[in-house]
Amino acid sequence: MDLFKVSRQQLDTLIAAALVHGGDYADLYFEHTTAFNLLLKDGAVSSGGFHTDYGVGIRVLKGEKTGYAYSENTEMEEMMKAAQAASAIALGASGSRTYSPVEDRRHDLYPMERNWRDYGADAFVPFLTGLEKEIFSRDSRIVKVIARLSNSVSDVMMFNSLGELTCDSRPLGSVSVSAVFVQDGKTENRSASRSFRTGAELIGPGLIKELADETVKGIDARFEARRPKGGQMSVVMGAGASGILLHEAMGHAFEADFNRKGQSVFSDRMGQRVCPEGVNVVDDGMVAYNRGSGNYDDEGVPAEKTYMVRDGILTSYLHDRISASWYGVKPTGNGRRENFRYNPIPRMRATYMESGNADPLGIIADVRQGIYVDEFSNGQVKIGEGDFTFFVKSGYLIENGRLTMPVKDINVIGNGPQALADLLAVGNDLKIDNGTWTCGKEQSVAVSCGMPTVLVRSLTVGGE
Amino acid sequence: MMITENEINIARYCISYAVEHGADAARVSLSKSVMDGHTLLNGELDKVTHSADRSIYLYIFADGRYGTFSTNRLEKKELEDFIIKAIEMVRMLGKDECRVLPDLERTAKDAKTGLELDLYDAGYGSATAAQRLEKAKEIAIFHKTPPSEEYTIISEECEYSESADDNYLIDSQGFEGRHKETMYYCFAEITIQAADGNRYSGFWWDAAQKEAGLDHRACASKALEKATGQIGPRKRRSGNYRMVVENRAASRLLAPVVSALNASAIQQKVSFLDGSLGTRVFPEGMTLTDMARTPGKSGSRLFDTEGVATKDSAIIENGTVCQYFVSTYMSKKMGIDPTIEDLSRPVLMPYLKDEDLTAEEKEVSLQAILRKCSNGILVTGFNGGNCNPVSGDFSFGIEGFAFSKGRITHPVREMLITGNLIDLWNNLIAAGNDYRPSARWQIGTLAFENVSFSA
Repeated sequence: MDLFKVSRQQLDTLIAAALVHGGDYADLYFEHTTAFNLLLKDGAVSSGGFHTDYGVGIRVLKGEKTGYAYSENTEMEEMMKAAQAASAIALGASGSRTYSPVEDRRHDLYPMERNWRDYGADAFVPFLTGLEKEIFSRDSRIVKVIARLSNSVSDVMMFNSLGELTCDSRPLGSVSVSAVFVQDGKTENRSASRSFRTGAELIGPGLIKELADETVKGIDARFEARRPKGGQMSVVMGAGASGILLHEAMGHAFEADFNRKGQSVFSDRMGQRVCPEGVNVVDDGMVAYNRGSGNYDDEGVPAEKTYMVRDGILTSYLHDRISASWYGVKPTGNGRRENFRYNPIPRMRATYMESGNADPLGIIADVRQGIYVDEFSNGQVKIGEGDFTFFVKSGYLIENGRLTMPVKDINVIGNGPQALADLLAVGNDLKIDNGTWTCGKEQSVAVSCGMPTVLVRSLTVGGE
Repeated sequence: MMITENEINIARYCISYAVEHGADAARVSLSKSVMDGHTLLNGELDKVTHSADRSIYLYIFADGRYGTFSTNRLEKKELEDFIIKAIEMVRMLGKDECRVLPDLERTAKDAKTGLELDLYDAGYGSATAAQRLEKAKEIAIFHKTPPSEEYTIISEECEYSESADDNYLIDSQGFEGRHKETMYYCFAEITIQAADGNRYSGFWWDAAQKEAGLDHRACASKALEKATGQIGPRKRRSGNYRMVVENRAASRLLAPVVSALNASAIQQKVSFLDGSLGTRVFPEGMTLTDMARTPGKSGSRLFDTEGVATKDSAIIENGTVCQYFVSTYMSKKMGIDPTIEDLSRPVLMPYLKDEDLTAEEKEVSLQAILRKCSNGILVTGFNGGNCNPVSGDFSFGIEGFAFSKGRITHPVREMLITGNLIDLWNNLIAAGNDYRPSARWQIGTLAFENVSFSA
């Protein structure tokens, strides 16, 4: 409370003001974030900066309706104005709902050994220049390297009308690098990134090696790669970043706000089979140091591991307090927000499929004609229809059970419920991808995803 | 809620404090914004939001080094500490002598009040919360739409918001500029369940700088029309088709071109338009102009984030690339003349292949373009995809309709287009002048020959 210069009595006063018009529930979200970034370009770490963000968001719920306002300072007068603005929801909305306390389960998922706030630019410049040097040393075709280091620490304090007071300090460190290669007049680029909820202990020689390995890996294939002939075909999704399939095809459609409003293609399928037997799909807020994890979500609900699909059956949506109350279940810790300027809504954390039994090489060997994909960029989904896409940066054709021609820069499109029903094999090699994944549903939040190698019977692949 | 004289003095103080404490030069951008919004779900109030933001962005140039910093803590003592730490950090960075303020001669001299471009509604702030809620209710059609045998409306979300932004930019060589604008915005998204059990969704939005320019009442009807239009989609075979792209989706195909003309991408060798300056890369007749100073129009601005004065100018003229977007920094770095850092309000001039549009004011509408193309696929939206900035190779998911003899026949689903952007634009058949007034990018309906579709 000292950080935000408020007393418990003032918190109570703000809650009372927020509920003055008859709201069912109110909460306060105090945030102080410091962010830092450095950029290496053209051989020098020649730009960077730091940023401070501070404020409090005040939310009032009446039924499942929301009133939201915020203040960028925590002077009582300004916070009271925000509370009054948020309280107005109770004047215009009908209905009421009971919001219940949650069991407090304390976690410590991301202890910092070295707090980012204790280090200046001089501590990280050698890391970035070392990373650049290492990448240049790996391949003579490299002509440009850009590397970015960013970190932030967010101190948050949440208090609500149920009397629950929770605090969290959330570090996030990220490094990304991209290199441009030129060969015989052709240009290609590759990139790599790592992001964790950890302190400055993230920065070291091990990370340099990991990022350099990944940046140069597969560049020969990229120079050789072509577009395949487009159309419907079997798709083997490699372990790791293929989790984007889950994020787009399933995760968004399982977010409870879309289902509560009847907008999701899965809104009437709870308890039904959505995947073959044996398939388990999880959204996990408790993976230590993971980019998507949180000791608490942004409503003060403790983290948990949520099974959305168990043995192929849809068992849970991803809930915030509103949808949990509406469905009569416990919140799953998915109420997340970008910062104090936004009200929380159901969002994913680390979304992955648990390992199956199949041998990954055997999965590829079983495909006569298809495509293997393992590097992705953006994805998108249409919630109502369930149609999703993701962009494949690199992969290979599969011909008679063998990886043959490298492919690149193709979009893949499919229908979520159909793709999940079409899972033919799940590998025994689950891998969480620790890149800088960010989900952009109304607000930007850090997430991650993972997947074992899987075979989807048929998706539409873009091509010549 | 707009920037006060006291806040302007805070920005000025930041400049003088930075210079007094070791900065060779400094720039401060002070931004303030306020927004009020009402969201309805199925005709009932669902969310009320009020936001008010105020922040300072500080650009420090010291000892040939450079850094950028921001904070929303504007108390004097905190700002002083912030500036001291910022200068300390800048001194830890590598030297880059190309980081300088723009030549004062190039900065805008006419942005005194922020009102010069007529983007601010003088009546802003006069509406009560009840009046804004009423506007949101006027969007909703959930309880007003008669039942249909073909579909049921499952969900309708409507939003109405009013916002105002005020930006004050100042630098240590004497530049001061102000930009103010208001925005009135409406949005509707409708999800239906068709008789076949499938769900379809459609959305529509409109925006205007002045309240009188907003057509909020038609918003949900258009969203419903978009949703119902998708009932009964069919797959088309993979193949090469003529492609018509609706005006509301067309900017997606031009955005990678604009990105590739940025000097920063060219200097970093991640632009497929490297070396294109002064050459005819696009079809003769394709002209893209930046109309940055059109009063009352979305995207217009008198200066960029460096304070450099914008001007109306051709970017691509009759297929020839006329300019890259060159900031002061990239100008020094590349040894070329600076231009402007980015587009403000791009306008793609109307074009019909093999027809002369200069002689008459001809309407080049969606219907006219469909007739000209006769058969093909009308794209009304893109679903994911990307464009490789190095090669211009793209692959996008699409949604839309098949058309035959100039008339729409049926919706299509799960289709992709794949190709190279330079090839695509060189197959341009038509560019319409049916611009959406509310859009910053003034791109009409487009049509292309011989586009590869996968299904």
